[in-house]
Amino acid sequence: MSFARPRLVLGFAPRIVATQRSIALRSSLVAYRNIHSTRCSHAEHLESRLEGPIRSPPLGAGSLTAKDEPGKDIDPYKDGQSAIDKAVHLFFFTEIIRGMWIVLENFFREPYTIMYPYEKGPLSPRFRGEHALRRYPSGEERCIACKLCEAICPAQAITIESEARADGSRKTTKYDIDMTKCIYCGFCQEACPVDAIVETQNQEFSTETREELLYNKEKLLANGDRAEAEIAANLYSDHVYR
Amino acid sequence: MIVMPLSLRSHCLQRLSSFRRLHTSSALRSETGSFNPAEYCKDLVRKHDYEGYLTSQLYPKRFQGGYLALRAFYIELATVREAVSQTTLGQARLMFWRDAMKDIYNDKPPRHPIALAMYEATRDNHLSLYHFNRIIEAREQELHNQTHLTLESMTSHAESTSSTFLYLLLEMLKLPSSTLAHAASHLGVAQSLTTLIRALPFHASKGVMVIPAEITAKHNVNQQEIFSKGKSSHGLEDAVFELATVANDHLLTARDMFKESGGRVPPDAMPVFSAAIPVVSILSTLESVNFNVFNPSLQIRDWRLAWQVWRSYYKRTF
Repeated sequence: MSFARPRLVLGFAPRIVATQRSIALRSSLVAYRNIHSTRCSHAEHLESRLEGPIRSPPLGAGSLTAKDEPGKDIDPYKDGQSAIDKAVHLFFFTEIIRGMWIVLENFFREPYTIMYPYEKGPLSPRFRGEHALRRYPSGEERCIACKLCEAICPAQAITIESEARADGSRKTTKYDIDMTKCIYCGFCQEACPVDAIVETQNQEFSTETREELLYNKEKLLANGDRAEAEIAANLYSDHVYR
Repeated sequence: MIVMPLSLRSHCLQRLSSFRRLHTSSALRSETGSFNPAEYCKDLVRKHDYEGYLTSQLYPKRFQGGYLALRAFYIELATVREAVSQTTLGQARLMFWRDAMKDIYNDKPPRHPIALAMYEATRDNHLSLYHFNRIIEAREQELHNQTHLTLESMTSHAESTSSTFLYLLLEMLKLPSSTLAHAASHLGVAQSLTTLIRALPFHASKGVMVIPAEITAKHNVNQQEIFSKGKSSHGLEDAVFELATVANDHLLTARDMFKESGGRVPPDAMPVFSAAIPVVSILSTLESVNFNVFNPSLQIRDWRLAWQVWRSYYKRTF
C-alpha cells in the first residue's frame, strides 16, 4: 500500500502543480506590475470590491437586501471542476490503484488454496469428529458399560446394552451410535471415566446410504484401532493443576 | 432329521464360524496382552505428576503399588475439572468414582485400571472409605465454585484434598500417630497452595483466579488485566507473595512437629513427607523470580529435584 501513495501523488502532481503555478504566476505578475506602478494592489482590490455595495442601494432607502451581499456574483468554479468532482476523481482513482496493487501483490504470493483431498488444512487437537472406542494397550476394551455417555447424550444418539462376563466385569454387548442424530457436542467423551469413547479428528466419513451412518461397536472399535496413536497424543497433558 | 435349505445352512454356518472367530480373537487378546492396572497407574503418575512419581521410589516395595494406585486416583479426580466443559458432566464422573469406591469396598471393583489397582491396595491395607469420600466431595465442591473468597475456605479445601491424601498414605504405612497426622495436614495445605500458585498462568488463561478474593482485593489486583494480558503486575506479585508465605508457614509448622527429634522424620514416615521436597523447590524458585508467577522457569521441572528427593530421604529432613 505504501507504494501506491507516492505514485498517485506523482500522477496527480503535474495537474495540481500546474494550476497552482498558473495562479501563482498570474498573481505574482500582477504584484510585479503593481509594485512598479504606484498603487497598492490590495488597496485597489479592496476598493473595487467595496464599490459595488456602496453604490447599489439608493441613498436614503436605509436597508440592505440579500441581493446586495458582496461577492455574490463571483463564481469560484467557473473555469474548472467543482471540489466534489475533484474529490470523486481522487478517491475513485485511489481505489482503483489500491485494488490493482493488491492484485499485483497476490500475483507474486503463494496461493491460499490447498489441493484438498491430498492436502489437508490444520485441525485443532480438540476437533470433534467421527467417534471411536478405544482399547487398552493390552487390547482389552476400555468401555466398562457404565452408560454415562448414554445418559448424558443430549441427542440420545447412543444406545448401550451390557452383560456381566464370567470374570465379573461388565462389558457392552451393543454400543450403537446414530451418527445422523449426533450433534458432536463431545459430552460423551467428557463424561467417560475411562476415556473409552472419544471423538477423533476424522471428519471425512460420508456414506452413500443412511444405514451406514448407524455405527455399531465393531465399527467404533475399528475406528479406535486406526486412530489410536493420534488420540493418545491429543489426550496427553503434562501437569496436575490442582 | 430336518433338512435345511442349503443356502440357509451355509449362512448359519458362516454366522457361527464368524462368531467363534470373534470370540477366540477376543479371548486370545486378553490372554496375550496382560491387562496390568499397576502399570497403568505408574504410567499415569509418571505422565501427569512427575514429582509424585519421584517420591514413589522411596516407598518400600510392598507399598509402592498402593502408593501409585492412590496417587493415580488422586490425579484422576484432580483432572476431572479440566476434562469437562459442564458441571453436570463432572458430577457424573465423580458419581462414577463414588459408586466405584463403594463397589471396591463390596469386592466388586469396576474394570477401570485405577479402580482395580485401588481394590488391591484396599485389600492389602486398611484404608478407610471416609477419606476417599472426603476427597471426592471436595472435588465436587470445586466443580461448583472454583474461586475461593477467603483464605480459610481455600485452606479447608486443601485439607480435604491433599492433606486427606497424605492421611491415606499414613494409614497405608500403618503409622497411626497424631503428630504425624498433624504434620501431614499442614504439609498437605502447603502442597495444595503451591500447586495452585504454579498453575496460576494456566487457570488465568481459562479465566479463573486461584488466589482468594480477599487477598487479591487487598493488593488491588486487576483480574481482567491478568486474564487478557497474561502478565504479572505489581499487585499480583504482592498477592502471590502473601499466598506463598502462607504456604511456607504451613511448611514450617509441619517441620516444627519434628522438633523433638531434631527435625528428623521417623524413617517409616519419610516417604510420605518427601512430598514436601517438590514444594520447597517450587517455593524457592518462586522466590528467586521475585514471585512473578508468569516466569517460565516455574513451569520447568527442576533438574536437581531427583537429587534433592534422594538426599532428603537419607537426611530424613524436609
